[in-house]
Amino acid sequence: MADNTNKHEHREHEPGHEHEHEHIGIPGYLGVFGILVVGTILTYYVSLIDLDWIFAGANTLVALLIAFTKMTFVVLYFMHVRWMPRLIWLTALAGFFWLAIMFAFTMQDYLTRSIIGR
Amino acid sequence: MADTHGHDHHYHPPGLQHQFEDMGQQQESASIGMWMFLVQEIMFFGGLFTVYLVFRSRYPMAFAAASNHLDALWGGLNTLVLIVSSLTMALAVFYAQKGNRNLQVLMIALTMIFGTVFLGVKVVEYTDKYNHGLVPVNGWNKRIKDDGHGSAKEPASKSAPIQDQNKLDPNAQEKTSLNAPNPNKDGHGNPRGEFQISRDDLKLVELARQGNFLTEAEKIGYFSNNEPDIEKFRDKMRIFFWIYFTMTGLHALHMIIGLGIMAWLLWKAWRGTFSAEYYAPVEISGLYWHFVDIVWIFLFPLLYLLGRHFMHGGGGGH
Repeated sequence: MADNTNKHEHREHEPGHEHEHEHIGIPGYLGVFGILVVGTILTYYVSLIDLDWIFAGANTLVALLIAFTKMTFVVLYFMHVRWMPRLIWLTALAGFFWLAIMFAFTMQDYLTRSIIGR
Repeated sequence: MADTHGHDHHYHPPGLQHQFEDMGQQQESASIGMWMFLVQEIMFFGGLFTVYLVFRSRYPMAFAAASNHLDALWGGLNTLVLIVSSLTMALAVFYAQKGNRNLQVLMIALTMIFGTVFLGVKVVEYTDKYNHGLVPVNGWNKRIKDDGHGSAKEPASKSAPIQDQNKLDPNAQEKTSLNAPNPNKDGHGNPRGEFQISRDDLKLVELARQGNFLTEAEKIGYFSNNEPDIEKFRDKMRIFFWIYFTMTGLHALHMIIGLGIMAWLLWKAWRGTFSAEYYAPVEISGLYWHFVDIVWIFLFPLLYLLGRHFMHGGGGGH
C-alpha cells in the first residue's frame, strides 16, 4: 500500500478515472453462483454415500474439500480478493494460518491423550 | 481544519476524506480495516470450531446420531438461500460501482429478503427441536404429557427426587430397564421438557462396536457393564446439540446484525449516497455478508451431514 501511495502522490485527480473497478461482471458472478449451487447439491448427495470403506471419516473430508472450494470462490470473486493488494491477501491468509495453529496445537494434545496412559 | 481544505482549486471527489490521497487509497484502507475485523471473526468462530473438533474426535458416533436428528433438507435449502443472498449482495456492490441507484436498491432489498428467509427457516428448525425434546437444557423443551399409556397423571410430587418418582410410575419401569424418569422418547411423553433421545440412536453405537471403530473415549463414554448405556450416550449427544445451538445461534445473530447493516445501506442507497467513486460502505458490508455466508458453508456439512451415510439411503428425520 505504501508503494501505491507514493506512486499517486502528486497525481492530478481526474473525474471518472479514480479507481478501476475490478470484478468478473454479471456472467462471472452468475458462473460463481452456479459453482456454489452445484457444490451445495453435491455436498448433500455425497453425504448419503458411505465412503467409510476408503477410510473412516472420508465423508467428512469430501464435504470439507467441497466447502473449501466454495469458500475459495466466494473469497476470490464475491469478496474481490483476487484483485486486492497483497496486504489483503496476507491478512486473509494470516487468519487461516492462525486457525490452523489453533486446530493443530489443540489436537496434538487431545489426540495423544489415550496414548500416554498405555 | 479550514486550512486543510485549501486545495479545492483542483478536482476533489465528493466522497474523499481529506486524510487520503485518492479514492483508490481510501477504498483500500476501508477494505483492509474490514479484513482485520473479519480475521478476528475467523478466530471467534474458530474457537467454536475447535470445540467441535475436540468433541467430535472423541465421540464421533454420538455426533453422527445427533446430526441425524437435524433435517438436512432444511439445512441444504438454507445453504442455497444464503448463496443466493451472496449473489445479490455481490450484484449490489456491482451496481453501486456502476452508480445504478435503482438496481442497487433492488439488490440490497433482495439480499435482505433472502436473509430473512434464512432466519425464518432457522425458526422452523429450532421449533422442531423444541417440539422433539432436543434442546440440550432440561425444562426448555415442549412439555408433553405421558398420555401414551392413557395415564396422564402428573408425578405425585414435583419436588420428589427423580428415583422416587420413577417407582411411583409403574409404566416407566415397564417400558425401560433404566431408572431415569424419561431416558428416551419411546412411548413416553416429556412432562418435564427434558432433553430426550430415542433407543434407535443407540443403533450407531452397535454399528461402531461391530465394525470395531469406536474411539477410546467412546469405549468408556457409551457403555455400562459392556452394554450401550442410553443415559451415557444421551449426554454425549447433548454435547452436539449444545454446539449446534451455540454455533447456529451465533451465526443467526450475525445474520440479524447483517440485516441491520443492510437496512442502513438500503436507506443510504435509496438516498443516492453511493456512486462509482464512493461505494466503500457497500463493499465492506458485502465483505461482512459474504463472511457470514462462508461460516454457514462450513456449518452445513459439519452439523447436518454427519451420520447420513450410516442410514443407507434414508433421508433426514427424527
